Amino acid sequence: MEFAWTPEQHALRDAVVRFARGALNDDVAARDAKNEFSRALWEQCAAFGIQGIPFAEEYGGGGLDAMAAVCAMEALGTVCRDNGLLFGLAAQMWSVQMPIYRFGSDELKRRILPALCDGTRIGAHGMSEPDSGSDAFSLRTRATPDGDSYVLNGTKTFVSEAPVADVFVVFATIAPEKGVLGITGFVVERGAPGFRVGREIHKMGLRTSPMAELVFEDCRIPAANRIGREGRGATVFNDSMEWERACILAGAVGSMQRQLDDAIAYARSRAQFGHPIATLQSVQHRLVGMKVRLENARLALYRAVWAKQENVDPAPAAAIAKLVISEAWQQSALDAVQIRGGYGYTVEYEAERDLRDAIGSTLYSGTSDIQRNLIARSLGL
Amino acid sequence: MTDPAVMPAVKSFILERFLVGEDPARLTPTTPLVTGGILDSLALLDLVAFLEQTFGVEFEAHEVDPGHFDSLQSIDTVVRAKLAK
Repeated sequence: MEFAWTPEQHALRDAVVRFARGALNDDVAARDAKNEFSRALWEQCAAFGIQGIPFAEEYGGGGLDAMAAVCAMEALGTVCRDNGLLFGLAAQMWSVQMPIYRFGSDELKRRILPALCDGTRIGAHGMSEPDSGSDAFSLRTRATPDGDSYVLNGTKTFVSEAPVADVFVVFATIAPEKGVLGITGFVVERGAPGFRVGREIHKMGLRTSPMAELVFEDCRIPAANRIGREGRGATVFNDSMEWERACILAGAVGSMQRQLDDAIAYARSRAQFGHPIATLQSVQHRLVGMKVRLENARLALYRAVWAKQENVDPAPAAAIAKLVISEAWQQSALDAVQIRGGYGYTVEYEAERDLRDAIGSTLYSGTSDIQRNLIARSLGL
Repeated sequence: MTDPAVMPAVKSFILERFLVGEDPARLTPTTPLVTGGILDSLALLDLVAFLEQTFGVEFEAHEVDPGHFDSLQSIDTVVRAKLAK
């Protein structure tokens, strides 16, 4: 059993860190205050190759695998302080590109994936509705077959990147009476007749990743935009959720490393009672807690990605990773505020932004309660 | 394809995926799978995917009806009917 990156993965990490250090921390505090997405940073990441890493070269990707993508995203997190950017990149990769890649027709993949990989188009994922969040499969958005088209009617909410996205993966039912067995996945492109991006939703954190509702009013899309087969949308969704739960918090693991490094540096430089606070056992124990949670999170991440790549009972591994990493990140972000005392509560020191961003991770891709339900089910409970 | 062992393969799949730790003898050809609460809708989708991959058959959306999959016997019948076409 190896616990080390390969030389190729090390080289990728080093390259990502060099890229991110020079490019990605431009004015993140100001953009957070203004809820501002940076297309320039998105395009820089695409030019480096981030968005395409795990996808085949024939679809514009980098031809590597999920572990390489996770390696790169973790490396990004160690340097890039824009958690909203990291989240948006990961959300597109696992909940938009991956379902199209794994279940879309070859024509759909060739038409949609290259622009998502090269950054000329941005993808968003629409599943939740005003009355269906954790109970995702109780969705009501309806897709009615009509010749060589489908006509969609309904609303989606909590759609990250929606205000800036061009391509939307959405799930609707073609047969409400069949429940889960009627759900089908679709690609909807901005500009489709009857489709509009609705009101923008302002959030506690991840403010550089904008969010909005989607509204479908007799929205007509070509049948070629269906993802997989009719009635198999639940399979498509569950597969993308396993990828998402396993992989989306790789950037957060990197952020936890950054938070720990910054907290240690602060504790060594901040003197109280005539000594650096790093000499105080209470501070040391808090830093140790951050370190232990980081290592647990790292192991859970790598285990889940391996399990999903190798298809070895991935569902519980992904749920465990999502639960462990999100709650570890939230606690570590709180510890980073505590170590800085009053300064940690100020906007200037940026620790409070990390905490606001981390709280979101316990909610998206299934709340922590849902992850616990999934793990319970795997235990036969 | 030579006469495939449909029922044994499906029984193994269901035991391994959805009845972990259960006595195999309790899963009989007529045990109600859907109406008996062993398979919910998501499990049914997994089962259909397994049948398609294992036996090279395809089920249209309207054919994924819980009534066709409510026992090992009924699954055996519907798979053999597709293989015979």
